[in-house]
Amino acid sequence: MYWLSKTRYKVGLLLPSILLYSVFIIIPIGMAVRYSFTKYSGLGRPEFTGFSNYIRMFSDELFWSSFKNTMIMFVLAFVLLLVLSFLIAVLLNKKLKGSDLSKALIFSPAIIAPIIVGIIWVYILDPNVGIINGILDAVGASDLKQEWIGGATLTPYSLAIVYFWQQLGYLVTIFIAGLKMLPEEVMEAAIIDGANERQKIIRIIIPMMKSNISTVAILIITGVFKIFEIVQQTTGGGPNHLSETLVTYSYTMTFDSGDYGYGMSLATVTFIISLIIVGLYSLFFGDNDAKKEARRKRKEEKMLKKGGVQA
Amino acid sequence: MKKPLRKVMAAALALTLIMSLLAGCGSKDEGTSGDVVTIKFGIHVANPEEQENVTYQIVQAFNEKFEGQYAVEFEASDTETHSKNMKLEAEDGTLPDIFWIDASEAPDYAANGYLLDLSGYLEENADIDTALNGMENAFNNGEMQYGVPYQCNVQGFFYNKEIFDSANVAYPTDDTTYEEFVQMVKDLKAAGTTPISIGSKNSGFAMWEFNEFLARYGWEDMYKDMADGNAKYNNDELVKCFEKIDGLREAGAFSDTVATSEYFDAKQAFIDGNAAMFGTGQWDCAAFDEALGDKVGFWWGPKFADTDANQDIAMKVPSAPLVVSAAVAEDEAKMAALTEFLNFYYGEEAAGISFAGSIFPATNYSDVAATDTQYAMNSMIEVLGSGWGSPAAAPDQTLNAAVQEALYDSIFGVIQGNYSPSQALDKMDAAQAN
Repeated sequence: MYWLSKTRYKVGLLLPSILLYSVFIIIPIGMAVRYSFTKYSGLGRPEFTGFSNYIRMFSDELFWSSFKNTMIMFVLAFVLLLVLSFLIAVLLNKKLKGSDLSKALIFSPAIIAPIIVGIIWVYILDPNVGIINGILDAVGASDLKQEWIGGATLTPYSLAIVYFWQQLGYLVTIFIAGLKMLPEEVMEAAIIDGANERQKIIRIIIPMMKSNISTVAILIITGVFKIFEIVQQTTGGGPNHLSETLVTYSYTMTFDSGDYGYGMSLATVTFIISLIIVGLYSLFFGDNDAKKEARRKRKEEKMLKKGGVQA
Repeated sequence: MKKPLRKVMAAALALTLIMSLLAGCGSKDEGTSGDVVTIKFGIHVANPEEQENVTYQIVQAFNEKFEGQYAVEFEASDTETHSKNMKLEAEDGTLPDIFWIDASEAPDYAANGYLLDLSGYLEENADIDTALNGMENAFNNGEMQYGVPYQCNVQGFFYNKEIFDSANVAYPTDDTTYEEFVQMVKDLKAAGTTPISIGSKNSGFAMWEFNEFLARYGWEDMYKDMADGNAKYNNDELVKCFEKIDGLREAGAFSDTVATSEYFDAKQAFIDGNAAMFGTGQWDCAAFDEALGDKVGFWWGPKFADTDANQDIAMKVPSAPLVVSAAVAEDEAKMAALTEFLNFYYGEEAAGISFAGSIFPATNYSDVAATDTQYAMNSMIEVLGSGWGSPAAAPDQTLNAAVQEALYDSIFGVIQGNYSPSQALDKMDAAQAN
């Protein structure tokens, strides 16, 4: 009989993934970081310039406006997605009439390519040909018309809503899967003890789904820092780069301005910011109980082994 | 099944999978199949038949003429992807044999040794050199002839005569001043039409009509100093130039949809009769002939009285260059094929195909002309009849990629009221400094 828990089998099984991960993720990240310390047009040899690209960032107004836009989108999308996707999942998990249809409708935007999502929302948000301003005109509320996209103010808020619309179904599905895993006897005991819906959610469901909530939170954080197609399709980062996010600005500098060094420094900073946010979230809100439990188990196993050897 | 046999089969299967994976990463077609030498032509549009029909027709004619001997195949993708691909292919040594490249990027390719020096080719083919009539000089860096113009671009304002007539506004002429232009804009606006259709979304490059503005404020005399860092873009002449664009904005010249429209949307608005003017070049002639017929007119743009720079300028300039990969020189058969293709592309037959498709070729042949029904092109030929000189290159094509991008951003920043003229020019200086 083969025991796959032997170290050499573990290494053998992990090796292909580690190789692929290194080739397609780790090495490109390393290369991007290396280029961020250079002046490079994409051709020939990069010229090492130390921290000059990072210093330049501090005085680059467009970096700060891209950073601001990204953070607006992050805060808005994070709050809306985390809270509403959870509440909608709780609602859809109940066997209500039409819940299957609702699940399908909520999930449907998640299967649309982001570039198509952008096109759809241009026809909704465009200040001149969009549905929203069209409706406001039709109902005689022209005073309420706004530059939902294409202006310098509302664009990041509008794009956060688009991202929310696109991601909601996917995150609801993750929460529903988590809810299905909750032991029924615990919920039944809560009902017998007279817990109302609010108490069940706050005292039982949320603590038991901490791991799911962490997963969803990290998906939102990493997702927001990757928003690209929606911006490209709705505004192209305009007007005058004022609706750029960190990712689209990095792309613009790299490929439109041919400034690969600066573009890579922007990408590196974006990567670090998202790492910091994920780290902070894990530190303060992550599923630390599970980690503690895993650590306790490992300690127990070690002690048992030690005891066994001594015996 | 016995264990050793199972192991052998598993190993064979793994090997097959690895081999098939490696096959996917294999090198490209070497460029010859049988006796036919294949020339890879990298082009900046995804569908050459639809989007660069003249070039497509020329290639088809060449393939037909040299059937069984040479064949040109397109490597086609949209401009942005094409630009990225060329850089990646330059780095891994798989550049197409001949390819289109933006004028702002070509010098970098030349400096890094990726391009073939075409001066020898031009010396050996004096008839082509003569037909190019100096237009190739824009792509000579003093050390090598790194490219030859893909086409000849004629840029300015197209206008819809019907809209001008219904607004009771006189057509612009060679002598129309900026002040008259502003009044024209106001009158068109008052008549309920959008004076100038223009879009900025993912289309910063669509500022061709303003190349004439820059040229008429003395761009050709000052751009080298600015590019070398010896002079600022934010100078008196260019501030005046950008103030004129700002003045047009204040007069209501531009469509409300600048920020959310792309170049194609803006063109469509002009074609649909929703705008009186549209700045573009000869590549749109065929579309205007079809949609507007003899209602289309062409104008260089206004003359300016507050500058000493020459105002008699026709923006007839080389387009981006066609360049040849340096690797071609290492393959005799490929070199012979490519020479034959260049002879054909810049020959009289191809010039005829170009004119028939309403595209000005880079070459001049006296027997080639447009037909009576090529209205847009004839309106260009009419204004070219004034005999004014042209700059060696369009102003936006004299800049490196970063400053060019800043120029586009600056012009659209002023058009949309986001930058003052001085702020806009500071952006260009900042890009130059980096």
